[in-house]
Amino acid sequence: MGNPMTEQTQTSNATPSEQDNTGKKSDIIRVEGMHKWYGDFHVLKDLNLTVAQGERIVICGPSGSGKSTFIRCINRLEEHQQGKIIVDDVELTDDVRQIDTVRREVGMVFQHFNLFPHLTVLENCCLSPIWVRKIPRKEAEATAMEYLERVKIPDQALKYPGQLSGGQQQRVAIARALCMKPKIMLFDEPTSALDPEMIKEVLDVMIELAGSGMTMLCVTHEMGFAKTVADRVIFMDGGEIVEEAPPHEFFTNPREARTQKFLQQILAH
Amino acid sequence: MARKLLKAYVSKNQLMFGEKTMRKTKSIALGIALAVGTFTASGAMAATTLENVKEKGHLQCGVTTGLPGFSQPDEKGNWTGIDVDTCRAVAAAIFGDASAVEFTPLTAKERFTALQSGEIDMLSRNTTWTLTRDASLGLNFAGVNYYDGQGFLINKDIGVDDALQLDGASICIQAGTTTELNLSDYFRAKGMEFKPIVFDTSEQTVQGFSAGRCDVLTSDRSQLAALRSKLSDPSAAKILPNTISKEPLGPVVRQGDDQWFNIVKWVLSVQINAEELGVTSANADDMLKSDNPNIQRLLGTDGDMGAKLGLPDDFGHKVVKLVGNYGEMYDRNVGPDTPLGLDRGINALWTDGGIMYAPPVR
Amino acid sequence: MAESTMKPPKKALSPVKWMREHLFSTWYNALLTLAVGYLLVTSVGPLLNWLLFEANFQGQDASDCTGAGACWLFISQRLNFFIYGFYPDELQWRVDAMFLLLAIAFVPQFIERFPGRKWLGIFGMTGLPIIGYFLIPGGTFGLEVVESTKWGGLMLTLILAYIGILASLPIGILLALGRRSEMPIIRGLSVVFIEVWRAVPLITVLFMASVMLPLFLPEGVNFEKLARALIGITLWQSAYMAEVIRGGLQAIPRGQYEAADALGLGYWRKMGLVILPQALKMVIPGIVNTFISLFKDTTLVLIIGLFDVLGTVQSTVTDPAWQNVAIEGYVFVAFCFWVFCFGISRYSQNLERKLDTGHKT
Repeated sequence: MGNPMTEQTQTSNATPSEQDNTGKKSDIIRVEGMHKWYGDFHVLKDLNLTVAQGERIVICGPSGSGKSTFIRCINRLEEHQQGKIIVDDVELTDDVRQIDTVRREVGMVFQHFNLFPHLTVLENCCLSPIWVRKIPRKEAEATAMEYLERVKIPDQALKYPGQLSGGQQQRVAIARALCMKPKIMLFDEPTSALDPEMIKEVLDVMIELAGSGMTMLCVTHEMGFAKTVADRVIFMDGGEIVEEAPPHEFFTNPREARTQKFLQQILAH
Repeated sequence: MARKLLKAYVSKNQLMFGEKTMRKTKSIALGIALAVGTFTASGAMAATTLENVKEKGHLQCGVTTGLPGFSQPDEKGNWTGIDVDTCRAVAAAIFGDASAVEFTPLTAKERFTALQSGEIDMLSRNTTWTLTRDASLGLNFAGVNYYDGQGFLINKDIGVDDALQLDGASICIQAGTTTELNLSDYFRAKGMEFKPIVFDTSEQTVQGFSAGRCDVLTSDRSQLAALRSKLSDPSAAKILPNTISKEPLGPVVRQGDDQWFNIVKWVLSVQINAEELGVTSANADDMLKSDNPNIQRLLGTDGDMGAKLGLPDDFGHKVVKLVGNYGEMYDRNVGPDTPLGLDRGINALWTDGGIMYAPPVR
Repeated sequence: MAESTMKPPKKALSPVKWMREHLFSTWYNALLTLAVGYLLVTSVGPLLNWLLFEANFQGQDASDCTGAGACWLFISQRLNFFIYGFYPDELQWRVDAMFLLLAIAFVPQFIERFPGRKWLGIFGMTGLPIIGYFLIPGGTFGLEVVESTKWGGLMLTLILAYIGILASLPIGILLALGRRSEMPIIRGLSVVFIEVWRAVPLITVLFMASVMLPLFLPEGVNFEKLARALIGITLWQSAYMAEVIRGGLQAIPRGQYEAADALGLGYWRKMGLVILPQALKMVIPGIVNTFISLFKDTTLVLIIGLFDVLGTVQSTVTDPAWQNVAIEGYVFVAFCFWVFCFGISRYSQNLERKLDTGHKT
């Protein structure tokens, strides 16, 4: 790492998973001096972040702080204009092949599930393994059923998304992302669109997933989830990373004034 | 070749856009034609039309999309009519087979382009011979197979016997034809007025007349009788004796191939001469023994008339035997015994008081 | 959720009650009912008389049409011409074979649960045109050549419509994708293509194809009028198709594109597997609408002297040997078009029902 890195890199927790032989693979995501603009509007300002393999990171912040945009940059759903994003040793540039390589390794779960309504649950899960990973249909279906069992809805496999509840759909979405056997999972406010009684079933699945050693980046307001699962909590505001700390430190002893204000608001009710 | 294309293109524009826009389109056309010309200059040097036709094995002939008596498909889809027979006669002259011809139905707008572009070998499509067409479209008219003229069909109730009494009449016309122009020319010349009621197809024109939308219907005389027969009560209408325009109709060929022009011209002349000499399809074989030198030359038993045209010497015999002489062709398609029921009138031979006259075969 | 066994109350009405409720509910409804009833009674009777009871079906020629009704004899005498145009009699089995295959491929689509109907449909889209390509013009496999100038009638209408429909769909899809592409050159070309073709009436396209195009081709290079017309129709139609499909593409939520991207599907698989299946399904009514209007627009080839079914009829109704058969002729044409357009419309409704997966809980 020739770059003048911020201290934050060093503050990262020890990786729970085994170190790679080469040692350098332990940092699976590196974001260096990244900027993004929408037209003239500067949405993301000089972001730096290093994520080690197996690390679980929760990103929070007020709406409009750029947190969703940030994680969407990590699999290039959004394009950044300056700085570097390196995912699993592949730098994200305009090169379509590089982007596809990264996307194959990065699963994503959206706020609004975004299941494909014209395909059954099982077909949703098998689509990418079959067409991108070129896995035989039988094998792909077996894997899909495995993951559907893990998210506890194997009995819905032949239904269409429109026939499922929101919580069920989001669990299918998680299973669909997992079917690609990604190294990293991105969650973009996975519970914000759900009715309160369904939030728990989705969080349970995410907690279970966190326990399995998956590298996770979650944008969420579920502070309970952050406390239980996260290795680090990142607070963003106005397009900047304001504070970054292990959860107990973050919640009990926030350093920045903006963080304190945000926590007060969110924990008030 | 570029010049030919240019000419074709320019004349097309002249027709379509009128004279005012000519200068502009001409320069555009020049550019395009030059580009096309240089592009195609290395292409195959065109063989003569006769060679092309012989190679294809059939004659490609442009006809109407359905005009009774002139060219119209019958129940079985076979083309019939006097224009069709004119084509068949040419095929008979070249191949000794009147059926070695294929027909391309063409609309009035398409007909000249189809000929200019080589899509058809000859045009036999009820086409009026005029100076403009002859001189500026890159075409040659190879004779006249029907002398037509514009006439009037009137409702008997209006009690008119002559076109000069038609001042102020409402007249049903088909849009976009020379008929429309002739009509206003005629009325203007006579200092009369009329109220035009324009329809799109001849069918609609008849319906309009039938429904009383107008007192008078005007069209080529060759069609008036047929149109009259379509009326719900034909006896309530009559055809006026006046003819207000000259419409000599005949086959057309591309300019620039004189041999082909001669072939089409002389096949028609042979048919007219055959009628004059009393040679018919029925007696053509017997006439081979005739000692009349005119008939001998006509049928090819004497002289080398065919060779001069690039045809077999017996082409005249084939034409008359397979298609008939002009009179037979007329009677079969438009004559008194057909639904059109047209008397020979001016289409009779010059010897019978008509104007149908062909130069001698010698 | 426990299933309730309670059913909604049934609403059964006696005929009298039904009529009172639907036809005579107010004084002006009653008046309307009576007026419409009167119109029906006075018009349907004479219409049926003309169409059937007093119509002439048998005989040899015009003189046998003696009844007051329609002279269907005119149609039956010329049916061969109206269906096959100038196609030689002894070779018409080839056209018949294509009609038969067309029926085999598409009639089962109307029968639910017909075994293998999906495969028959696919055959209709792929195998059928290929067979037709060899069978109708001939020239290969020892088949005698029948030039396209001899094709006509209903057969030509179907060929024009079928090829127009079949070819315009993929081209339209590509154009629609091109118009939404992020690559400026491709987008620009697509926009120009679509806007130019869409702004031109079909009649002009056909006229240009038949009258102007030959002037620009070198002498002796004549590619057939039918081919020129077909290319014109297809390109024109695909511009329309592109706009219909673009409507569908725009209606797909952005999340679908993002989800497909996030799964690493790449552009073509994203479009082919995720976006287009949804977009096309959404615009089936629009697509079918353009198909039907194309089917009817094929009659415009009349102006370039191609004899489709309307052309064959129109060229013969002027036959002076027959009196006033124009109405019969046009009724026959209307009937032909109605049969096929209604068929297309029913088929699309079938398809919409079958593809509907947007079940709500």
